[in-house]
Amino acid sequence: MKKEIEIVAYRCKKCGKIHYPFHDRCLACKSREFEKIKPEGMAKLLTYTRIYNLPWGFDQRYLTIGVVEFENGVRAMGQIHVDESAHLETGMVMKPEWGPVRKQYGEAVYGLVLKPAG
Amino acid sequence: MRDVAVIGVGMIPFGRRDEDTLMDMLAYASLKALDDAGLGDKSVDAVYVGNMGGGVIQHQTAIASSLVDRLSLLPAAAETVENGPASGGSAVKAGLLAVASGYYDTVLVVGGEKMREVTGWRATDFVATLTHPQVEYPYGITLPGMAGMFTRLYMEKYGVTREALVSVAIKNQEMGGLNPYAHVEMAITKEGIFDDPAAIVNNPVAADPLHLYDACPVSDGAAAIVLCPLEMLKSPAKPPVIIAGFGQATDTQTLQEREDPTDLKAVTLAAQQAFERARLKPSDIHVAELHDAFTILEIAESEHVGFFKKGEGAKAALAGKTRLGGQIPINVSGGLKARGHPVGATGVAQVVDIVWQLRHELPKNRQVKNAQNGLTVNFGGFGNNVLAFVLRRVEK
Ligand SMILES: [Zn+2]
Repeated sequence: MKKEIEIVAYRCKKCGKIHYPFHDRCLACKSREFEKIKPEGMAKLLTYTRIYNLPWGFDQRYLTIGVVEFENGVRAMGQIHVDESAHLETGMVMKPEWGPVRKQYGEAVYGLVLKPAG
Repeated sequence: MRDVAVIGVGMIPFGRRDEDTLMDMLAYASLKALDDAGLGDKSVDAVYVGNMGGGVIQHQTAIASSLVDRLSLLPAAAETVENGPASGGSAVKAGLLAVASGYYDTVLVVGGEKMREVTGWRATDFVATLTHPQVEYPYGITLPGMAGMFTRLYMEKYGVTREALVSVAIKNQEMGGLNPYAHVEMAITKEGIFDDPAAIVNNPVAADPLHLYDACPVSDGAAAIVLCPLEMLKSPAKPPVIIAGFGQATDTQTLQEREDPTDLKAVTLAAQQAFERARLKPSDIHVAELHDAFTILEIAESEHVGFFKKGEGAKAALAGKTRLGGQIPINVSGGLKARGHPVGATGVAQVVDIVWQLRHELPKNRQVKNAQNGLTVNFGGFGNNVLAFVLRRVEK
């Protein structure tokens, strides 16, 4: 696990709308000027699912995936690393980390990893 | 702009078709539609093929060029149209605009997909390639997973219950059982997939809160239609059906960037455009084929196109309002849930089923009595590219 969340989000310099992923023009005002921002603070779970029919490339029984909103408004998808029996609910606070989410050519691919806070 | 009539339709049974190649299936469906149009030994001006996975699954590209050659339709213009799970709808659109504009008079549109050639593992990955390559796909998200996250939000916002979802699955599999073209012919009971304590064994969680029976199967199949200007139909053998209205809209690729992820804006806009163009309203529609890749989508789309108010779709499904004989019969064919969802075929198959309904050609146990107007919705991505068609029977 790495401490730094390697997500770069984009705040429109004209209207302030936050984008993640990158768009060439602002979804709200079509401006092309963005300020790069990092997600800040803890992450609120907006929705989630646990899937049992995994795509090619995953050699495990299930995956838990959710969408969170950070304290500064950045929204992102991530993997939730919890036991199958763990209680999850929308609105709960998750601790974000940057860790391995899949393997490609034997190498770990890093991404947003979420665990229930506290 | 000219009124565009559907003068021929054809479909081959969906399911697992190990004996056929993708090209076989496209050819069989095309010949059925050409025969139905009375063009069995004639040519057409142009061909549009809806297909999503030929390049990925079959390792074959330029499918339309191959098809016109195989069907002896040379030198007809030909293109393959790829638009994810809405590829079929997009091919219909291409044909519609080509005829409406006056550029071409006779157009064949065919959609097909062969997905059972690879393992479920590979097929799931193939469909997931439509997700965002950097911020979604690496996490292992699948289309059922997107639907699961959407369902959770919809349940929490509108109080949709699993019982309502189950009612859609039961209705559509019951209708699929009556449809000789459907992949799934097995009727299911509420006891077997929901009430019984053992139901969790038959109907396990697939993408929480969605279960196995909330999702469409992975299918092979193809469907085709032939279009021409209504004005050229002098003494049609079958009651003419026109594509009276068409609409299409897009939305953000990721759910997370939608202000309200339960709001399927592209469905609303596509349907509004189609209704406006057809000069009809939702209450004028007698039969609809909605894109129920997941049970929640039939409910959500029935609201977004305007059949029911937001939050009322689940109650309507539970009350039987969407069954044959109800207020607005939805997916009398069995829908994607039971007919199957060979992705590139679906948008064309929906039009074929509505044409059969509007011609009053179906057996009594599947025919919506005296149906004059029909609607189809083909939902691409997770609602980020949606097409809607309003079809109307024309009494000459
Ligand atoms: Zn802006």
